[in-house]
Amino acid sequence: MDESRSWPEHLDPIVEEFSSCFDSMERYELLFQYAKRHPSPLLPEEWNESNQVHGCQSRAHVLCSLDRDGNFFLRGGADAQIVQGLMAITAMAVNGMSPSEVADLTPEFADSMGIRSSLTPSRANGFLNMFKRVKEEAVLLSG
Amino acid sequence: MTLDIGAIRGDFPILERRLPNGKQLVYFDNAATSQKPQCVIDAMSEYYSRYNSNAHRANHTLADEATTALEDARESISSYFGTSPDQMIYTSGATEAINLVSYGWARENLSEGDVVVITEMEHHADIVPWQQLSKEKGVEVRYVPIDTESFTLDMQAFEVAAEGASLVCVVHTSNVLGIRNPVERIVEISHSNGARVLLDCAQGAPHERINFDESRVDFVAVSAHKMGGPTGIGCLLVKRDAMDQMGPFMTGGSMIKTVSTMGSTFQEGHAMFETGTPRIAEAIGWGSAVEWLDQFDMGEVHSHINKIASWTAHRISEIDGITVYGDPSRDDSSGAVSFLHDTIQSQDLALLLDEGGFAVRTGHHCAQPLMDALGVPSTNRASFWIYNTMSEAEAFVEHLRNVVDRFSGME
Repeated sequence: MDESRSWPEHLDPIVEEFSSCFDSMERYELLFQYAKRHPSPLLPEEWNESNQVHGCQSRAHVLCSLDRDGNFFLRGGADAQIVQGLMAITAMAVNGMSPSEVADLTPEFADSMGIRSSLTPSRANGFLNMFKRVKEEAVLLSG
Repeated sequence: MTLDIGAIRGDFPILERRLPNGKQLVYFDNAATSQKPQCVIDAMSEYYSRYNSNAHRANHTLADEATTALEDARESISSYFGTSPDQMIYTSGATEAINLVSYGWARENLSEGDVVVITEMEHHADIVPWQQLSKEKGVEVRYVPIDTESFTLDMQAFEVAAEGASLVCVVHTSNVLGIRNPVERIVEISHSNGARVLLDCAQGAPHERINFDESRVDFVAVSAHKMGGPTGIGCLLVKRDAMDQMGPFMTGGSMIKTVSTMGSTFQEGHAMFETGTPRIAEAIGWGSAVEWLDQFDMGEVHSHINKIASWTAHRISEIDGITVYGDPSRDDSSGAVSFLHDTIQSQDLALLLDEGGFAVRTGHHCAQPLMDALGVPSTNRASFWIYNTMSEAEAFVEHLRNVVDRFSGME
Protein backbone atom coordinates (compact mmCIF):
# COMPACT_ATOMS: atom_id res chain seq x y z
CA MET A 1 0.00 0.00 0.00
CA ASP A 2 1.04 3.58 -0.71
CA GLU A 3 1.99 5.31 2.54
CA SER A 4 -0.20 8.31 1.65
CA ARG A 5 -3.36 6.25 2.01
CA SER A 6 -4.49 3.43 4.21
CA TRP A 7 -6.27 1.32 1.63
CA PRO A 8 -4.96 -0.87 -1.19
CA GLU A 9 -4.30 0.88 -4.50
CA HIS A 10 -6.87 -1.13 -6.41
CA LEU A 11 -9.57 0.54 -4.29
CA ASP A 12 -8.64 4.02 -5.61
CA PRO A 13 -11.13 4.04 -8.51
CA ILE A 14 -13.95 3.04 -6.18
CA VAL A 15 -13.04 5.70 -3.62
CA GLU A 16 -12.88 8.26 -6.44
CA GLU A 17 -16.22 7.11 -7.84
CA PHE A 18 -17.95 7.61 -4.49
CA SER A 19 -16.22 10.84 -3.53
CA SER A 20 -17.28 12.43 -6.81
CA CYS A 21 -20.97 11.70 -6.22
CA PHE A 22 -23.26 14.72 -6.16
CA ASP A 23 -24.85 13.89 -2.81
CA SER A 24 -25.37 11.10 -0.31
CA MET A 25 -28.46 9.80 -2.11
CA GLU A 26 -26.27 9.24 -5.17
CA ARG A 27 -23.72 7.46 -2.98
CA TYR A 28 -26.43 5.20 -1.58
CA GLU A 29 -27.57 4.49 -5.13
CA LEU A 30 -24.01 3.48 -5.96
CA LEU A 31 -23.88 1.24 -2.88
CA PHE A 32 -27.03 -0.52 -4.07
CA GLN A 33 -25.25 -1.14 -7.38
CA TYR A 34 -22.13 -2.49 -5.65
CA ALA A 35 -24.33 -4.79 -3.58
CA LYS A 36 -25.17 -6.59 -6.81
CA ARG A 37 -21.49 -6.80 -7.79
CA HIS A 38 -20.27 -8.60 -4.66
CA PRO A 39 -17.26 -10.63 -5.85
CA SER A 40 -17.71 -13.36 -3.24
CA PRO A 41 -21.22 -13.38 -1.83
CA LEU A 42 -22.28 -15.55 1.07
CA LEU A 43 -25.70 -16.84 0.16
CA PRO A 44 -28.58 -16.71 2.68
CA GLU A 45 -28.67 -20.51 2.90
CA GLU A 46 -25.09 -20.37 4.25
CA TRP A 47 -25.95 -17.84 6.98
CA ASN A 48 -25.72 -19.24 10.48
CA GLU A 49 -25.10 -18.18 14.06
CA SER A 50 -21.33 -18.66 13.85
CA ASN A 51 -20.87 -16.36 10.84
CA GLN A 52 -23.38 -13.72 11.95
CA VAL A 53 -22.08 -10.24 12.71
CA HIS A 54 -23.77 -9.15 15.93
CA GLY A 55 -24.54 -5.64 16.99
CA CYS A 56 -26.49 -4.48 13.99
CA GLN A 57 -30.20 -4.39 13.33
CA SER A 58 -29.92 -5.74 9.81
CA ARG A 59 -28.66 -9.29 9.33
CA ALA A 60 -25.04 -9.53 8.23
CA HIS A 61 -22.81 -12.57 7.88
CA VAL A 62 -19.13 -12.97 7.01
CA LEU A 63 -16.97 -16.00 6.36
CA CYS A 64 -13.20 -15.47 6.23
CA SER A 65 -10.67 -17.99 4.97
CA LEU A 66 -7.35 -18.28 3.13
CA ASP A 67 -7.16 -19.17 -0.55
CA ARG A 68 -4.74 -21.76 -1.92
CA ASP A 69 -1.98 -19.12 -2.02
CA GLY A 70 -2.51 -18.22 1.64
CA ASN A 71 -4.19 -14.92 0.82
CA PHE A 72 -7.23 -13.57 2.65
CA PHE A 73 -10.65 -14.38 1.18
CA LEU A 74 -13.81 -12.72 2.48
CA ARG A 75 -17.31 -13.84 1.67
CA GLY A 76 -20.23 -11.87 3.00
CA GLY A 77 -23.96 -11.33 2.85
CA ALA A 78 -26.51 -8.96 4.35
CA ASP A 79 -30.22 -8.42 4.03
CA ALA A 80 -29.75 -4.65 3.78
CA GLN A 81 -28.42 -3.48 0.42
CA ILE A 82 -26.35 -0.66 1.91
CA VAL A 83 -24.50 -3.08 4.19
CA GLN A 84 -24.21 -5.59 1.34
CA GLY A 85 -22.69 -2.88 -0.87
CA LEU A 86 -20.17 -1.99 1.81
CA MET A 87 -19.37 -5.68 2.21
CA ALA A 88 -18.80 -5.96 -1.52
CA ILE A 89 -16.34 -3.06 -1.46
CA THR A 90 -14.63 -4.47 1.62
CA ALA A 91 -14.26 -7.83 -0.13
CA MET A 92 -12.83 -6.08 -3.19
CA ALA A 93 -10.36 -4.38 -0.85
CA VAL A 94 -9.19 -7.34 1.20
CA ASN A 95 -9.43 -10.36 -1.09
CA GLY A 96 -5.92 -11.28 -2.18
CA MET A 97 -4.19 -9.37 0.61
CA SER A 98 -2.16 -11.14 3.25
CA PRO A 99 -4.03 -11.70 6.53
CA SER A 100 -1.61 -9.41 8.36
CA GLU A 101 -2.29 -6.60 5.85
CA VAL A 102 -6.02 -7.05 6.43
CA ALA A 103 -5.46 -6.97 10.18
CA ASP A 104 -3.80 -3.55 9.79
CA LEU A 105 -6.47 -2.10 7.50
CA THR A 106 -8.51 0.86 8.76
CA PRO A 107 -12.02 1.90 7.65
CA GLU A 108 -10.57 5.17 6.39
CA PHE A 109 -11.55 4.29 2.82
CA ALA A 110 -15.20 4.60 3.87
CA ASP A 111 -14.51 8.11 5.17
CA SER A 112 -12.84 9.06 1.91
CA MET A 113 -15.77 7.65 -0.03
CA GLY A 114 -17.96 10.09 1.92
CA ILE A 115 -20.20 7.44 3.41
CA ARG A 116 -18.91 6.74 6.89
CA SER A 117 -20.57 9.82 8.38
CA SER A 118 -23.87 8.13 7.57
CA LEU A 119 -22.72 4.89 9.11
CA THR A 120 -21.57 5.72 12.63
CA PRO A 121 -21.50 2.90 15.20
CA SER A 122 -24.64 4.17 16.92
CA ARG A 123 -26.58 3.66 13.70
CA ALA A 124 -26.10 -0.03 14.37
CA ASN A 125 -26.25 -0.80 10.70
CA GLY A 126 -23.42 -3.20 10.61
CA PHE A 127 -20.54 -1.78 8.59
CA LEU A 128 -18.16 -1.03 11.47
CA ASN A 129 -19.13 -4.22 13.28
CA MET A 130 -18.56 -6.16 10.10
CA PHE A 131 -15.20 -4.45 9.52
CA LYS A 132 -14.11 -5.20 13.10
CA ARG A 133 -15.10 -8.85 12.70
CA VAL A 134 -13.10 -9.15 9.45
CA LYS A 135 -10.00 -7.72 11.13
CA GLU A 136 -10.41 -10.10 14.10
CA GLU A 137 -10.64 -13.04 11.71
CA ALA A 138 -7.58 -11.76 9.86
CA VAL A 139 -5.59 -11.72 13.09
CA LEU A 140 -6.59 -15.32 13.75
CA LEU A 141 -5.72 -16.39 10.20
CA SER A 142 -2.34 -14.67 10.30
CA GLY A 143 -1.33 -16.52 13.44
CA MET B 1 -60.19 25.82 21.73
CA THR B 2 -58.48 24.83 18.50
CA LEU B 3 -54.91 23.68 18.76
CA ASP B 4 -52.43 26.34 17.66
CA ILE B 5 -49.80 24.04 16.21
CA GLY B 6 -47.51 26.95 15.32
CA ALA B 7 -47.46 28.12 18.93
CA ILE B 8 -47.02 24.55 20.16
CA ARG B 9 -44.02 24.06 17.86
CA GLY B 10 -42.55 27.25 19.27
CA ASP B 11 -42.28 25.48 22.62
CA PHE B 12 -39.96 22.83 21.12
CA PRO B 13 -36.60 24.34 20.15
CA ILE B 14 -35.33 21.07 18.68
CA LEU B 15 -37.91 21.22 15.91
CA GLU B 16 -35.92 24.10 14.38
CA ARG B 17 -32.93 21.80 14.00
CA ARG B 18 -31.28 21.15 10.66
CA LEU B 19 -29.40 17.90 10.15
CA PRO B 20 -25.71 17.81 9.11
CA ASN B 21 -26.79 17.48 5.46
CA GLY B 22 -28.75 20.73 5.76
CA LYS B 23 -32.17 19.10 5.74
CA GLN B 24 -34.83 20.35 8.13
CA LEU B 25 -35.55 17.79 10.86
CA VAL B 26 -38.96 16.16 10.61
CA TYR B 27 -39.37 14.12 13.75
CA PHE B 28 -41.62 11.12 13.26
CA ASP B 29 -40.19 8.85 15.98
CA ASN B 30 -42.47 9.96 18.77
CA ALA B 31 -43.53 6.47 19.81
CA ALA B 32 -39.88 5.90 20.74
CA THR B 33 -39.60 9.18 22.61
CA SER B 34 -41.22 12.57 22.26
CA GLN B 35 -39.39 15.87 22.13
CA LYS B 36 -39.43 18.08 25.22
CA PRO B 37 -41.01 21.52 25.54
CA GLN B 38 -38.78 24.36 26.71
CA CYS B 39 -40.55 24.52 30.08
CA VAL B 40 -39.37 20.97 30.87
CA ILE B 41 -35.80 21.83 29.91
CA ASP B 42 -35.99 25.02 32.01
CA ALA B 43 -37.47 23.26 35.05
CA MET B 44 -34.69 20.67 35.09
CA SER B 45 -32.04 23.29 34.46
CA GLU B 46 -33.38 25.47 37.26
CA TYR B 47 -33.26 22.55 39.69
CA TYR B 48 -29.61 21.87 38.90
CA SER B 49 -28.60 25.53 38.82
CA ARG B 50 -30.55 26.77 41.88
CA TYR B 51 -31.56 24.09 44.34
CA ASN B 52 -29.88 20.78 43.50
CA SER B 53 -29.91 18.72 46.67
CA ASN B 54 -30.98 15.30 47.84
CA ALA B 55 -34.63 14.96 48.80
CA HIS B 56 -36.16 13.58 52.02
CA ARG B 57 -32.82 13.62 53.82
CA ALA B 58 -31.77 16.94 55.32
CA ASN B 59 -33.08 20.08 56.96
CA HIS B 60 -31.21 22.71 54.97
CA THR B 61 -32.96 25.08 52.59
CA LEU B 62 -31.92 23.41 49.36
CA ALA B 63 -32.99 19.97 50.61
CA ASP B 64 -36.33 21.41 51.61
CA GLU B 65 -36.79 23.01 48.19
CA ALA B 66 -35.81 19.81 46.37
CA THR B 67 -38.15 17.71 48.52
CA THR B 68 -41.00 20.15 48.00
CA ALA B 69 -40.46 20.20 44.23
CA LEU B 70 -40.29 16.39 44.07
CA GLU B 71 -43.55 16.01 45.98
CA ASP B 72 -45.23 18.88 44.12
CA ALA B 73 -44.40 17.02 40.91
CA ARG B 74 -45.99 13.87 42.33
CA GLU B 75 -49.08 15.93 43.11
CA SER B 76 -49.22 17.34 39.56
CA ILE B 77 -48.59 13.99 37.87
CA SER B 78 -51.04 11.98 39.97
CA SER B 79 -53.65 14.70 39.55
CA TYR B 80 -53.11 14.63 35.78
CA PHE B 81 -53.84 10.89 35.87
CA GLY B 82 -56.96 11.41 37.97
CA THR B 83 -55.71 9.95 41.19
CA SER B 84 -54.04 10.86 44.46
CA PRO B 85 -50.28 10.99 45.23
CA ASP B 86 -50.45 8.02 47.60
CA GLN B 87 -51.38 5.75 44.68
CA MET B 88 -48.36 6.72 42.58
CA ILE B 89 -44.92 5.13 42.76
CA TYR B 90 -42.07 6.79 40.87
CA THR B 91 -40.16 4.33 38.68
CA SER B 92 -37.55 4.64 35.94
CA GLY B 93 -40.28 4.16 33.34
CA ALA B 94 -42.99 1.75 32.26
CA THR B 95 -40.58 -1.18 32.09
CA GLU B 96 -39.61 -0.84 35.74
CA ALA B 97 -43.24 -0.24 36.65
CA ILE B 98 -44.26 -3.56 35.07
CA ASN B 99 -41.34 -5.32 36.75
CA LEU B 100 -42.49 -3.79 40.03
CA VAL B 101 -45.87 -5.47 39.60
CA SER B 102 -44.14 -8.74 38.76
CA TYR B 103 -41.70 -8.63 41.68
CA GLY B 104 -43.69 -6.60 44.19
CA TRP B 105 -47.20 -7.95 43.69
CA ALA B 106 -47.17 -11.17 41.64
CA ARG B 107 -44.40 -12.89 43.58
CA GLU B 108 -46.24 -12.09 46.82
CA ASN B 109 -49.65 -13.25 45.63
CA LEU B 110 -49.31 -15.84 42.86
CA SER B 111 -48.15 -19.42 43.06
CA GLU B 112 -47.81 -22.48 40.86
CA GLY B 113 -50.80 -23.00 38.59
CA ASP B 114 -52.07 -19.42 38.83
CA VAL B 115 -52.69 -17.77 35.47
CA VAL B 116 -51.33 -14.54 34.00
CA VAL B 117 -52.89 -13.41 30.71
CA ILE B 118 -50.92 -11.29 28.25
CA THR B 119 -51.31 -10.65 24.52
CA GLU B 120 -49.29 -11.08 21.35
CA MET B 121 -49.40 -7.32 21.02
CA GLU B 122 -47.28 -6.62 24.10
CA HIS B 123 -43.95 -4.86 24.21
CA HIS B 124 -41.17 -7.15 25.46
CA ALA B 125 -41.34 -5.23 28.75
CA ASP B 126 -44.78 -6.75 29.32
CA ILE B 127 -43.80 -10.25 28.21
CA VAL B 128 -40.45 -11.12 29.70
CA PRO B 129 -41.30 -10.30 33.35
CA TRP B 130 -44.13 -12.83 33.13
CA GLN B 131 -41.99 -15.45 31.40
CA GLN B 132 -39.45 -15.03 34.22
CA LEU B 133 -42.21 -15.31 36.80
CA SER B 134 -43.42 -18.47 35.11
CA LYS B 135 -39.94 -19.99 35.32
CA GLU B 136 -39.57 -19.15 38.99
CA LYS B 137 -43.05 -19.82 40.33
CA GLY B 138 -44.68 -22.18 37.83
CA VAL B 139 -47.30 -19.60 36.92
CA GLU B 140 -49.09 -20.26 33.63
CA VAL B 141 -48.78 -17.50 31.02
CA ARG B 142 -51.56 -17.37 28.43
CA TYR B 143 -51.11 -15.39 25.22
CA VAL B 144 -54.11 -13.80 23.53
CA PRO B 145 -53.64 -13.67 19.74
CA ILE B 146 -54.45 -10.81 17.41
CA ASP B 147 -56.67 -11.02 14.37
CA THR B 148 -54.17 -10.37 11.57
CA GLU B 149 -56.94 -9.14 9.25
CA SER B 150 -58.20 -6.36 11.51
CA PHE B 151 -54.96 -6.05 13.54
CA THR B 152 -57.11 -6.04 16.69
CA LEU B 153 -57.07 -8.24 19.74
CA ASP B 154 -59.09 -11.43 19.39
CA MET B 155 -61.61 -10.66 22.13
CA GLN B 156 -63.25 -14.06 21.94
CA ALA B 157 -59.90 -15.66 22.66
CA PHE B 158 -59.38 -13.10 25.41
CA GLU B 159 -62.62 -14.07 27.14
CA VAL B 160 -61.54 -17.72 27.11
CA ALA B 161 -58.03 -16.91 28.33
CA ALA B 162 -59.29 -14.72 31.17
CA GLU B 163 -61.26 -17.57 32.74
CA GLY B 164 -59.54 -18.44 36.00
CA ALA B 165 -56.86 -15.80 35.56
CA SER B 166 -55.33 -13.97 38.51
CA LEU B 167 -53.72 -11.16 36.55
CA VAL B 168 -54.33 -9.69 33.10
CA CYS B 169 -51.57 -7.55 31.56
CA VAL B 170 -52.51 -5.67 28.41
CA VAL B 171 -51.03 -2.86 26.40
CA HIS B 172 -53.39 0.13 26.21
CA THR B 173 -52.16 1.13 22.74
CA SER B 174 -49.83 -0.92 20.54
CA ASN B 175 -46.47 0.71 19.88
CA VAL B 176 -46.35 -1.02 16.49
CA LEU B 177 -49.90 -0.89 15.18
CA GLY B 178 -51.19 2.19 16.95
CA ILE B 179 -54.30 0.18 17.81
CA ARG B 180 -56.02 1.11 21.07
CA ASN B 181 -57.30 -1.99 22.79
CA PRO B 182 -60.86 -2.09 24.21
CA VAL B 183 -59.50 -1.58 27.71
CA GLU B 184 -62.87 -0.87 29.31
CA ARG B 185 -64.19 -4.25 28.12
CA ILE B 186 -60.94 -5.94 29.13
CA VAL B 187 -61.23 -4.55 32.66
CA GLU B 188 -64.86 -5.65 32.89
CA ILE B 189 -64.12 -9.22 31.76
CA SER B 190 -61.00 -9.49 33.91
CA HIS B 191 -62.66 -8.25 37.08
CA SER B 192 -65.64 -10.52 36.52
CA ASN B 193 -63.13 -13.38 36.59
CA GLY B 194 -61.54 -12.05 39.76
CA ALA B 195 -58.32 -11.02 38.00
CA ARG B 196 -56.41 -7.84 38.64
CA VAL B 197 -55.53 -5.74 35.59
CA LEU B 198 -52.23 -4.13 34.63
CA LEU B 199 -52.38 -1.65 31.74
CA ASP B 200 -49.20 -0.69 29.93
CA CYS B 201 -49.98 2.93 29.08
CA ALA B 202 -46.54 3.88 27.72
CA GLN B 203 -48.12 4.62 24.33
CA GLY B 204 -51.61 5.46 25.55
CA ALA B 205 -50.75 8.28 27.95
CA PRO B 206 -49.32 10.62 25.28
CA HIS B 207 -52.53 10.33 23.26
CA GLU B 208 -55.35 10.09 25.76
CA ARG B 209 -56.10 11.46 29.21
CA ILE B 210 -55.85 8.39 31.43
CA ASN B 211 -58.10 8.69 34.48
CA PHE B 212 -56.80 6.06 36.84
CA ASP B 213 -59.51 6.24 39.50
CA GLU B 214 -62.33 6.13 36.97
CA SER B 215 -60.70 3.32 34.97
CA ARG B 216 -60.97 0.80 37.83
CA VAL B 217 -57.66 -0.64 36.59
CA ASP B 218 -55.47 -2.04 39.37
CA PHE B 219 -52.06 -1.09 37.95
CA VAL B 220 -51.09 1.42 35.27
CA ALA B 221 -47.51 1.72 33.96
CA VAL B 222 -46.42 5.01 32.39
CA SER B 223 -43.20 6.45 30.92
CA ALA B 224 -42.64 10.20 31.08
CA HIS B 225 -40.42 10.50 28.04
CA LYS B 226 -43.11 9.64 25.51
CA MET B 227 -45.37 12.46 26.76
CA GLY B 228 -42.99 15.41 26.78
CA GLY B 229 -41.17 14.50 29.96
CA PRO B 230 -37.57 13.49 30.49
CA THR B 231 -36.10 10.04 30.03
CA GLY B 232 -35.41 7.87 33.07
CA ILE B 233 -38.66 8.40 34.93
CA GLY B 234 -42.17 7.04 34.92
CA CYS B 235 -44.57 5.66 37.44
CA LEU B 236 -46.75 2.81 38.53
CA LEU B 237 -50.24 3.84 39.55
CA VAL B 238 -51.61 1.31 42.04
CA LYS B 239 -54.98 0.89 43.68
CA ARG B 240 -54.67 1.12 47.47
CA ASP B 241 -55.87 -2.43 48.12
CA ALA B 242 -53.40 -3.78 45.56
CA MET B 243 -50.56 -1.76 47.11
CA ASP B 244 -51.44 -3.27 50.48
CA GLN B 245 -50.71 -6.70 48.94
CA MET B 246 -47.27 -5.69 47.66
CA GLY B 247 -43.88 -6.40 49.16
CA PRO B 248 -40.63 -4.54 48.50
CA PHE B 249 -39.02 -4.99 45.07
CA MET B 250 -35.65 -3.33 45.63
CA THR B 251 -34.35 -2.27 49.02
CA GLY B 252 -32.21 0.54 50.43
CA GLY B 253 -32.21 4.33 50.41
CA SER B 254 -35.50 6.16 50.63
CA MET B 255 -37.61 3.08 51.37
CA ILE B 256 -35.86 2.37 54.68
CA LYS B 257 -37.44 3.24 58.03
CA THR B 258 -34.90 1.58 60.36
CA VAL B 259 -31.94 -0.76 59.98
CA SER B 260 -30.15 -2.60 62.77
CA THR B 261 -28.07 -5.72 62.98
CA MET B 262 -31.30 -7.46 63.94
CA GLY B 263 -33.08 -6.54 60.74
CA SER B 264 -34.82 -3.70 58.91
CA THR B 265 -38.17 -1.99 58.74
CA PHE B 266 -39.55 -0.24 55.69
CA GLN B 267 -41.59 2.83 54.88
CA GLU B 268 -45.23 2.30 54.09
CA GLY B 269 -47.27 3.04 50.99
CA HIS B 270 -45.56 4.28 47.85
CA ALA B 271 -42.40 5.13 49.81
CA MET B 272 -41.72 1.40 50.29
CA PHE B 273 -41.07 1.06 46.58
CA GLU B 274 -38.90 4.11 45.91
CA THR B 275 -35.34 3.10 46.62
CA GLY B 276 -32.09 5.03 46.54
CA THR B 277 -31.88 8.72 45.75
CA PRO B 278 -35.02 9.83 43.92
CA ARG B 279 -34.87 10.97 40.28
CA ILE B 280 -35.46 14.52 41.42
CA ALA B 281 -34.68 16.52 38.29
CA GLU B 282 -36.58 14.04 36.15
CA ALA B 283 -39.63 14.15 38.40
CA ILE B 284 -39.60 17.95 38.33
CA GLY B 285 -39.28 17.87 34.54
CA TRP B 286 -42.16 15.43 34.23
CA GLY B 287 -44.29 17.57 36.53
CA SER B 288 -43.64 20.48 34.22
CA ALA B 289 -44.53 18.33 31.18
CA VAL B 290 -47.94 17.34 32.54
CA GLU B 291 -48.68 20.95 33.51
CA TRP B 292 -47.81 21.90 29.92
CA LEU B 293 -50.02 19.11 28.50
CA ASP B 294 -52.85 20.02 30.87
CA GLN B 295 -53.54 23.19 28.87
CA PHE B 296 -54.77 21.08 25.93
CA ASP B 297 -57.90 19.07 25.34
CA MET B 298 -56.42 15.62 24.75
CA GLY B 299 -59.41 14.75 22.60
CA GLU B 300 -58.36 17.51 20.22
CA VAL B 301 -54.75 16.39 20.42
CA HIS B 302 -55.82 12.86 19.54
CA SER B 303 -57.93 14.07 16.60
CA HIS B 304 -55.03 16.14 15.28
CA ILE B 305 -52.60 13.22 15.46
CA ASN B 306 -55.12 10.71 14.18
CA LYS B 307 -55.86 12.88 11.14
CA ILE B 308 -52.17 13.07 10.19
CA ALA B 309 -51.59 9.35 10.80
CA SER B 310 -54.68 8.29 8.91
CA TRP B 311 -53.85 10.52 5.93
CA THR B 312 -50.22 9.37 5.88
CA ALA B 313 -51.16 5.69 6.05
CA HIS B 314 -53.65 6.11 3.23
CA ARG B 315 -51.20 7.98 0.98
CA ILE B 316 -48.20 5.72 1.53
CA SER B 317 -50.34 2.63 0.96
CA GLU B 318 -50.83 3.98 -2.58
CA ILE B 319 -47.08 3.83 -3.24
CA ASP B 320 -46.03 0.75 -5.16
CA GLY B 321 -44.68 -1.97 -2.89
CA ILE B 322 -45.69 -0.37 0.43
CA THR B 323 -47.77 -2.37 2.89
CA VAL B 324 -49.21 -0.64 5.97
CA TYR B 325 -49.69 -2.73 9.12
CA GLY B 326 -52.51 -1.66 11.40
CA ASP B 327 -55.47 0.51 10.64
CA PRO B 328 -54.66 4.16 11.33
CA SER B 329 -58.02 5.17 9.80
CA ARG B 330 -59.79 3.93 12.94
CA ASP B 331 -60.91 6.79 15.17
CA ASP B 332 -59.27 5.22 18.17
CA SER B 333 -55.87 4.58 16.54
CA SER B 334 -52.96 6.54 17.88
CA GLY B 335 -50.29 8.12 15.74
CA ALA B 336 -48.20 5.09 14.78
CA VAL B 337 -48.02 4.02 11.13
CA SER B 338 -46.01 0.83 10.57
CA PHE B 339 -45.11 -0.05 7.03
CA LEU B 340 -42.74 -2.05 4.86
CA HIS B 341 -41.63 -1.88 1.25
CA ASP B 342 -41.55 -5.22 -0.52
CA THR B 343 -38.03 -4.83 -1.94
CA ILE B 344 -36.29 -2.00 -0.08
CA GLN B 345 -35.12 -3.47 3.22
CA SER B 346 -36.36 -1.57 6.29
CA GLN B 347 -32.89 -0.50 7.50
CA ASP B 348 -32.03 0.78 4.04
CA LEU B 349 -35.32 2.62 3.85
CA ALA B 350 -34.74 4.25 7.24
CA LEU B 351 -31.35 5.58 6.12
CA LEU B 352 -32.81 6.87 2.87
CA LEU B 353 -35.63 8.60 4.76
CA ASP B 354 -33.11 10.09 7.17
CA GLU B 355 -31.30 11.61 4.20
CA GLY B 356 -34.47 13.63 3.62
CA GLY B 357 -34.50 14.74 7.26
CA PHE B 358 -37.23 12.28 8.33
CA ALA B 359 -36.59 10.47 11.61
CA VAL B 360 -38.52 7.19 11.71
CA ARG B 361 -38.00 4.02 13.73
CA THR B 362 -36.97 0.71 12.21
CA GLY B 363 -36.83 -2.77 13.66
CA HIS B 364 -39.01 -5.15 15.62
CA HIS B 365 -39.97 -2.37 18.07
CA CYS B 366 -39.37 -4.72 21.03
CA ALA B 367 -42.48 -6.62 19.98
CA GLN B 368 -41.12 -9.79 18.38
CA PRO B 369 -44.20 -11.97 19.07
CA LEU B 370 -46.28 -9.38 17.22
CA MET B 371 -43.79 -9.38 14.35
CA ASP B 372 -44.11 -13.18 14.25
CA ALA B 373 -47.90 -12.87 14.11
CA LEU B 374 -47.62 -10.35 11.27
CA GLY B 375 -45.10 -12.59 9.51
CA VAL B 376 -42.44 -9.90 9.18
CA PRO B 377 -39.07 -9.45 10.91
CA SER B 378 -39.36 -5.69 11.28
CA THR B 379 -41.22 -2.62 10.09
CA ASN B 380 -40.54 1.02 9.48
CA ARG B 381 -42.66 3.16 11.76
CA ALA B 382 -43.62 6.80 11.47
CA SER B 383 -45.21 8.03 14.69
CA PHE B 384 -46.70 11.44 15.27
CA TRP B 385 -47.39 13.73 18.18
CA ILE B 386 -48.91 17.04 19.05
CA TYR B 387 -46.38 19.23 17.21
CA ASN B 388 -46.40 17.39 13.89
CA THR B 389 -48.14 18.98 10.93
CA MET B 390 -49.91 17.86 7.79
CA SER B 391 -47.29 19.67 5.70
CA GLU B 392 -44.59 17.52 7.34
CA ALA B 393 -46.65 14.45 6.45
CA GLU B 394 -47.01 15.68 2.86
CA ALA B 395 -43.25 16.18 2.58
CA PHE B 396 -42.69 12.71 4.05
CA VAL B 397 -44.99 11.03 1.54
CA GLU B 398 -43.30 12.89 -1.31
CA HIS B 399 -39.81 11.89 -0.14
CA LEU B 400 -40.86 8.28 0.41
CA ARG B 401 -42.35 8.18 -3.08
CA ASN B 402 -39.10 9.54 -4.54
CA VAL B 403 -37.03 7.00 -2.61
CA VAL B 404 -39.21 4.14 -3.79
CA ASP B 405 -39.09 5.39 -7.39
CA ARG B 406 -35.31 5.62 -7.23
CA PHE B 407 -34.36 2.53 -5.24
CA SER B 408 -37.02 -0.13 -5.76
CA GLY B 409 -35.89 -2.70 -8.25
CA MET B 410 -32.23 -2.02 -7.47
CA GLU B 411 -31.90 -4.96 -5.10
